[in-house]
Amino acid sequence: MAATIPSIACLGVIGRNNNPLHITIFPSYDPASNTRAPLRTPLQFSLLLSSTLDIFETRARRAAPSATGGAPAAAASSTPLLTGDFGLLHAVDERLAAYGFETNTGVKFVAVVDMRGRFSPAAAGSGGGGGGGAAGIRGGVGLRETELRVVFRAMQNAYVRLLQNPFYDPDEHAPLVLPPGGGVGGKKITSRKFSEEMRRIGEGWAPGVTNL
Amino acid sequence: MDDFPAGSLDHNVPFLVVSGLSNSSTKVSLPDPSLREQGVLVRSELPPIESREAKIILRCIQEKDATSLPWNSRDTSRKYKFKIGTVGREFLLPPRRARLPDNSEAPLSPLILHSPFSPLSPGSSLYPDGLIDTQWLRKHQDLVPSVCLTFYSLTSDPTLATLHDNQLKTDINAIKNVIVQSGYKCRFVAVILSDQSPSSIGQFQERLDNIRRSTGLDPKTSLFVLPTQRTEVELENAVDNVLTAVFEQALEYYRDLGRHSRKKRGRGIAPQPTVPPTSGTSHTLSLHGWNVRYDFKTAIFAEFRQEIDVALRSYEQAYDTLLGADVLETIPGWNSRFNDARFLADVIAIRILKCLLWLGLSTTAVRRWQAHNDRIFDLVDRRGRGTQNYGWKAWEARWNTVMANLIERVQFPELEPTSTLPYRLPEKNLSADRLQPWELLHHQGYWYRIAAWHLANRRKLAWSIPEEDRKPPDASSPSQSSKAYSYDTYMCPEPHEEFPLVGTGVNHSQLIFNHLMLAHNEFQKRHQIRTSAELALECCKELERLKEWRKILKILTPLWRDMSYRTEGWWDIMEAFSWTLRGAAVEVGHKNLIVAIDWELLNKGFSRRPGWHYDIMKSLDGISTDSRPVIEIGDEHVTSFLHASFIFKNDEGKAGQSCPTQLSITSNSFPDAAPVVLERIRIEFEGSLHTIDLGHKASDDQNFSSSRLRVSKVALAEIEGNGDDSSDDDSESSADTTPTMMLQGTDDLTILPGQTRVFEMDVPLREPGDARASSVQVSVAPESFTLRYTIRLREANQVGLWYSPTSMRKKVTRTDPHIIKVLPRPPKMEIRLIDMLEQYYASEYVPLELEILNEEDANANTKLDIALYGQDVPGYRVQIEDGTEKTSTAGVEESRLDGIPVGTIPNSKSAKAIVTIDPVDGPMVLDLIVRARYHLVSDPATPIIQQTTYHLNIVNPFEASYDLSPRLHSEWPNYFNPEDIQDPSEGDEVVRRPRGLAQKWSLATRYASFAQEDLAILGLDVDILSTQGNVSCKTSKSQPIVADGAVISPKTIEESHFELIAQKFDLDDRSPATADLAFTIKWRRLTASKDTVNTTVLPLPRFFVTVSEPRVLASVSYYSPPDPSNSVSSSAPNPPSQLLFLDVTIENPSSHFLTFGLMMEPSNEFAFSGAKTTTLNVLPVARRSVTYRLLPLVRGAWIRPTLVVRDKYFQKVLKIIPTEGMKSDREGVLVWVPPEEEVDGDDESEGDESESESEETEEGS
Repeated sequence: MAATIPSIACLGVIGRNNNPLHITIFPSYDPASNTRAPLRTPLQFSLLLSSTLDIFETRARRAAPSATGGAPAAAASSTPLLTGDFGLLHAVDERLAAYGFETNTGVKFVAVVDMRGRFSPAAAGSGGGGGGGAAGIRGGVGLRETELRVVFRAMQNAYVRLLQNPFYDPDEHAPLVLPPGGGVGGKKITSRKFSEEMRRIGEGWAPGVTNL
Repeated sequence: MDDFPAGSLDHNVPFLVVSGLSNSSTKVSLPDPSLREQGVLVRSELPPIESREAKIILRCIQEKDATSLPWNSRDTSRKYKFKIGTVGREFLLPPRRARLPDNSEAPLSPLILHSPFSPLSPGSSLYPDGLIDTQWLRKHQDLVPSVCLTFYSLTSDPTLATLHDNQLKTDINAIKNVIVQSGYKCRFVAVILSDQSPSSIGQFQERLDNIRRSTGLDPKTSLFVLPTQRTEVELENAVDNVLTAVFEQALEYYRDLGRHSRKKRGRGIAPQPTVPPTSGTSHTLSLHGWNVRYDFKTAIFAEFRQEIDVALRSYEQAYDTLLGADVLETIPGWNSRFNDARFLADVIAIRILKCLLWLGLSTTAVRRWQAHNDRIFDLVDRRGRGTQNYGWKAWEARWNTVMANLIERVQFPELEPTSTLPYRLPEKNLSADRLQPWELLHHQGYWYRIAAWHLANRRKLAWSIPEEDRKPPDASSPSQSSKAYSYDTYMCPEPHEEFPLVGTGVNHSQLIFNHLMLAHNEFQKRHQIRTSAELALECCKELERLKEWRKILKILTPLWRDMSYRTEGWWDIMEAFSWTLRGAAVEVGHKNLIVAIDWELLNKGFSRRPGWHYDIMKSLDGISTDSRPVIEIGDEHVTSFLHASFIFKNDEGKAGQSCPTQLSITSNSFPDAAPVVLERIRIEFEGSLHTIDLGHKASDDQNFSSSRLRVSKVALAEIEGNGDDSSDDDSESSADTTPTMMLQGTDDLTILPGQTRVFEMDVPLREPGDARASSVQVSVAPESFTLRYTIRLREANQVGLWYSPTSMRKKVTRTDPHIIKVLPRPPKMEIRLIDMLEQYYASEYVPLELEILNEEDANANTKLDIALYGQDVPGYRVQIEDGTEKTSTAGVEESRLDGIPVGTIPNSKSAKAIVTIDPVDGPMVLDLIVRARYHLVSDPATPIIQQTTYHLNIVNPFEASYDLSPRLHSEWPNYFNPEDIQDPSEGDEVVRRPRGLAQKWSLATRYASFAQEDLAILGLDVDILSTQGNVSCKTSKSQPIVADGAVISPKTIEESHFELIAQKFDLDDRSPATADLAFTIKWRRLTASKDTVNTTVLPLPRFFVTVSEPRVLASVSYYSPPDPSNSVSSSAPNPPSQLLFLDVTIENPSSHFLTFGLMMEPSNEFAFSGAKTTTLNVLPVARRSVTYRLLPLVRGAWIRPTLVVRDKYFQKVLKIIPTEGMKSDREGVLVWVPPEEEVDGDDESEGDESESESEETEEGS
């Protein structure tokens, strides 16, 4: 039966004001029709990305007052303070899970991973060790949080290159002073190069890829 | 988990029946009436104990009920867990053996009867090949107690003791017998309550021993004595101890049962049913089936014993066997036993999950959960009715809900709402593995949400049921069989009930909604606001199907109003919310919301909804128009397709002028949206500017209307603000002195999509100060409603753009262009001092004439403020031309007069005012500030101020020096004047004639003019200000030095002499006396009018006017021949006739008799006659004179008569003081000898002569 491996379903760049800067959606492998199509609608992906902001906020709020707190989650919540890597934010269901990274300027990168997003003939033989040998609807390949770091590093590089463009004004995309009420976060990233870069990252990544 | 039959999934805790403590009993009736009549009644004849202590004990026991505890092992404080069943005195045990079916024929051999819950008994629902069902679980959890805890009371009445004890013994034995006969191995424990205290219970020991012996109960395990005479806490502890002991009994009971199950499994044979099945397939339960049954039982009993890991193993064993090749695989899919087995598999799986979660293995639990899901999927796909139908989705939804419920029951601290992560980290031994993210246990909200998604899929599949399957079953329907095989109806209704052709069927939306709400609440609790908002949106999608419009409004309106998506710019999400809410609002008729949403959705940032009109005017079309709502929204709530900015062209302006401004409104609506015709635009300002109100006036000008940029000039008219809607928010400003003004203009206010409208206006600036445009309110008012939308103008660090109508080019003006600084109007009024003199002097009135010249274009209504600053400011008087006069009093540092009305000064005319400052005493520096406040008649609203400061330096016009020299006074007091004799009693007469010594002085004053011009001196005088030392002083001008109108030039010195006569009041008073004098100069400026007299008073230093020491006064007189006239003597010089008389007068004001030696030395300058050496005795308070006649040998020169006067007694040489016509230097006095031709001074010498004569006479007297 078809063995699937994780793939990126969506890459999102969210600005300092929690405003969406960029969203790229990638098609997932559908074993029923053997085609590739996005798993959700763009609206659903928007909602999914925005829902990760809750977790970014909660973690930031919890991490701030008690950085040395003895909570069991301290190990998970103290690392992002240093590296910006938030690891797994949450899984929405058995297939989709969101991983997060925050730069020190408050720009957030979210990678939504489809755990069964890609057909992998190579993994077909070795897969299926997960849930007791039942039919292969469950991909046997899990994921380590660290495996997403390469994605975030590549996204950050792309973002830095974007910032180096003198015609890109970060303040336009996330105004320092948000108008009280009413206003709308900021402009989206319109750079074609950046979009292509995102697409390349999203399509190039698979578990175990160490360089993007 | 609510879908599963009661008791099937409960956590099992030992069942304890407590009897004898109350009448009421928790009724657990046997489910089957036939079983009820076969049941064994365990009954006690003794009445229940009704005492207060019994109630306390009952309450204590009931509080320990452990059925609702969370399913985890964290609470280790409990030593025992019980499910408590309280009964009165009797309870029913189910029959141990099933009855034979009634219709069966007489058995050939004695049949082996089995439990009614066993598949072996023909009466059981499991007969002949069922596995196990919930009834068996309920039997052990609800019906058959592990321990029967019976309470008795021990009477303390000795007369009744034997009787009661015997009754007690009989009862206990009877119950024990009943239980034993029932076949159950329930433990019996008796608790005997006594009303004694623990210390006094010893007296009944014998009776208790007796009871124990005759009932065969063990005091350690089955017979407890509970003295109740103690505190509640102690009683609770005692009950606690009893329960702990009883728990051991219960565990033992379940251990026995478990052992029994294992033993039966170990036999390795399938037992034969009581009666072999005759109907159906006559298939009986296989050995593997029995093994499942035994393993399940073993696991349940382990769970009763709270041995979770043991239970887990047995469950897994049962599960594996059940889903293995020999049990479920052998049951055909059409058989109802298939679903029964599926049910058992679910129950076992859930119990396994419970055990895993109980042990904290959350990731293992998720994997187990998935594994079961996969296995059942596989099973149903292969052997059941497939997974592509609503039944499977229903099961999947249930399977997710089960997990959510389990998480709720287990209560992981990591998943509490306060935790940081929405999921639980994996167990230690798994954390190194490559995990699926979902394998980290997420909180129940996620599970409920997935359940809701599955339910949505179930609906989708249910709706795809073909119509023929949706008909209610017909007895002779041919499609019946096919239907039965194509739909999975495991724990869900048949297709005709799921989605009937007629009627309602399953309310999917409600189900989905319920699950979404459960999830929503969980996310809400954890402050995952965006996720909960998302769920609320999904909820509302379901409510749409349910047509619960008001509920949608209730849920969505607050979210829509302040959703974070708006500020953060998630346009697509905003849009989804808005359309959903709009749909509901239309149904309810909530017009405000409809209009507000339509307004927002016009922005082309949203995606275009095909076929939508995008015309705000049509917003309320099709909605009842009974009332015309007025909707006021602001950009803090709702974004808009309109962007407004307001620009002052200049960053500064002057009051009274006007500043060009531009209001630009850009429309960002969809290109094909209808143009928006604004009814009016209001621009509000903070600061001194008036509200601008632009009204709509349609124009036919087509030239501009289609261009992207349209700049139009709007003329503004200033009108009184009418109180339509500005009255409420302008109430405080209208309290001001100025009435509320508005600037009104009209223009075509149509804005096309994508167009930028620029309205250029000249705004008159009125009052100085900072002003900023604060908000722009646009209103749209079609017939059905009025919408007012307020756009706040904020401090954005953006440059302003100035649109030019011709070149279409935008000019960047500056940052924050909506702020203007209004400077005060430059005054064109001029204030001048006319004829200001070069110098003003002290002690004169300083008149200053002001001219206020109106150089404005219009008449000015003016008021004058005058302020004078300085040290000890004098008072002044202000007189306006027309006669108004105001006086200000003197002040310490300032003196001011405000608001002197000058009246209206006509254009290019002037008004005059005279400020007269009162004379000051001395030099002074003053600042005079003149401020003219006025407004033009043509523009009364703009106050204008002109201010001028003048610096006045007032100086003293004169300075003077003084010299006081002694003179001989003609008078000397006479002791013998009878008029002077005075009665001492009259000494306090107020006015008395001075009778003391008198001395005469000559005061020479030299005054200099420090003025810068000639001054006319009108008079000089010396005033005696005060005297000290009982003296009376008189001054007289010795000669009229200046004539009236004498003029003193600048920087010249004039001299004048005054005579001063001081006389002591009393002769006896010989103390020195002083006098304070003042020199007064009366003067005026030459230019001043004749009647002006300024008086400058120059105070003199203090002078001694009498002395008590003796003094020697020399005076000279010139001899002149008595008969010839002056002219003769002068014309005919006569050298020998030039004779001088030198009188030396010694005054002795002291009370001593003094003797003086006089010695005159000869000189070559003159010859003299008189005693060369003589002695002069002077009596106290007397004076004597000695006269020398000198004949000078020189002419026209000073001669020095060397005369030495020596006090004989003190041997002290007295200084000789010169008087008129003499002078002295260090060596003595000098006498002037006039030249030959000079014969002046005769007059003087005459006077002297007479004086000396008189002295002689006095002397003589």
